[in-house]
Amino acid sequence: MAFAANSYAADQTLVFTSWGGTTQDAQMSIWANGFSKETKIKVLPDGPTDYGKIKAMVESGDVSWDVVDAEGDYAVKAGADGMLEKLDFSVIDKSRLDPRFVTDYAVGSFYYSFVIGCNKDAVKACPKTWADLFDLKKFPGKRTFYKWSAPGVIEAALLADGVPADKLYPLDLDRAFKKLDTIKSSIVWWSSGAQSQQLLASAETPYGFFWNGRLTALVKTGVHVETSWDQNITAADMLIVPKGAKHKAAAMKYIAYATSAASQAKFAEMTGYAPINLDSPALMPKDIRATLPDKQAATQVNADLTYWAKHRDEIGTRWYAWQAK
Amino acid sequence: MPGTRPRAVNRRPRGAVPYIVPAFILIVLFFIVPVAMLLLRSVLEPAPGLENYAVFFGSTTYLRVFTNTFLVAGIVTLVAVVIGFPVAWLLAIMPRGWSAVFLAVIILSMWTNLLARTYAWMVLLQRTGVINKMLMALGLIDQPLSLVNNMTGVTIGMVYIMLPFIILPLIGILRAIDPSTLRAAALCGANKWQCFSRVLLPLSMPGIAAGALMVFVMSLGYFVTPSLLGGASSMMLAELIAQLVQSLLNWGLGGAAAFVLLVVTLGLYFVQLRFFNPYSKR
Repeated sequence: MAFAANSYAADQTLVFTSWGGTTQDAQMSIWANGFSKETKIKVLPDGPTDYGKIKAMVESGDVSWDVVDAEGDYAVKAGADGMLEKLDFSVIDKSRLDPRFVTDYAVGSFYYSFVIGCNKDAVKACPKTWADLFDLKKFPGKRTFYKWSAPGVIEAALLADGVPADKLYPLDLDRAFKKLDTIKSSIVWWSSGAQSQQLLASAETPYGFFWNGRLTALVKTGVHVETSWDQNITAADMLIVPKGAKHKAAAMKYIAYATSAASQAKFAEMTGYAPINLDSPALMPKDIRATLPDKQAATQVNADLTYWAKHRDEIGTRWYAWQAK
Repeated sequence: MPGTRPRAVNRRPRGAVPYIVPAFILIVLFFIVPVAMLLLRSVLEPAPGLENYAVFFGSTTYLRVFTNTFLVAGIVTLVAVVIGFPVAWLLAIMPRGWSAVFLAVIILSMWTNLLARTYAWMVLLQRTGVINKMLMALGLIDQPLSLVNNMTGVTIGMVYIMLPFIILPLIGILRAIDPSTLRAAALCGANKWQCFSRVLLPLSMPGIAAGALMVFVMSLGYFVTPSLLGGASSMMLAELIAQLVQSLLNWGLGGAAAFVLLVVTLGLYFVQLRFFNPYSKR
């Protein structure tokens, strides 16, 4: 019996689901590999994250995902809806985590900014502000925006229309859609990070609305990208454990490892996204720290993830109806 | 064979029933039951009743997506038939060796990863893509054409992907047509157009109908290509259902939309069986 128990421990696995692409590659190589070496627990990747799938798993009681990287507004809502396991903060040390990204059910995975990206080789001048990006006279032609309903584009539209950053919430949806109407015919939507990079690098859309890390990755491949951090809009991904996850204890340990100062620092270095552990910046080279969203705090606008969690469905329904019009 | 009595083709061999049972159980378990559950969700969530169907048919947005889907599927089917028919005819009358080579090319392209082919079209069609660059270099246009992220892109991409499904069933039918019927028509004084429209086309109608229905039905539920090559306003039903299920978690409404699509598809299939089936007794 003892032998059987031991071999079970040695074979223990957990499934970590994320969005694929360069982000998940970095998560696997830094978080999962390091974790496996330390604990002998094997981490199997799966993906992409799919909220419909999480719902189906939890409802059927057959949950094959143990830790999932999800958008912050979804994580907050799913926690409130009873879809998630409570996190065990005796295993996860939350004292040094950015309190903006900690709830009972979720902790930040990394945080990012939505910024204005521009292909310098394709145009004479680059838009600097959201107002510029929404100005078809000054900046004619196609521009690209995030397709899915999520914190970001609505905020950008309101900021472009002159709403002060501290008066964004509650979101004035009528005003936002009216502003978006003015550029609708010039919008090309991107639905994945890779697609946004392709659109910018090929100059199909010479400017647009991007995840900052995807621009960092483009710069590394030699594309002349200009990033404007003016009123950069921050939101976070969060790590969650779906209710009924089969390897709950291991999942808590994994989250503790992923959010530790060293793991967060290495991940940030590799991806250009910011760490959510407050001790991580001290562990990172200075030149890299300068390119991260947490160095742009002066011009930063925080998306209100709690507001979004509450109004997620209502905004989403309106968003997709407006898009399809 | 002269002398032997022709056997009735339609009579079922005796004792076949037990062999059907496993397949039947599989279909019930993996198709009928999930579909029934989807239907149940659509009338039970969030509250019992037909509210989801009322929302679906009462919303101008959803109706636009619905009509859009049929429009795209119709255009794709039409274009695929117009392009596919001559190709199939050519393959049918070619020497067998050559037609095998061309057929292999068609089938190989069909086996290439769908996502890769769709992305390839994206690269070809974009404003800075090969096609626009070529047309501009030739001086035919001075502004790049918008060929992608709209209905044009969806149609081009989907026609390309659907072509094999129209060509393959057609080749079989066209090969079975006795060439002497065409020669006979010509001898009786029919010109080329009459040979085509009054002999070849009617004879190949079952193949065209089967292929067109297959393409139309597949197009109705198509997801990847419209989602990547289309713009938000050329959205089709499959993408709407994915949004409702994955992002908005509104499974009741998603179920209703999926069920409407299923009913329409089955209806079309019934029409085809009833009116175009070459094997049915008339």
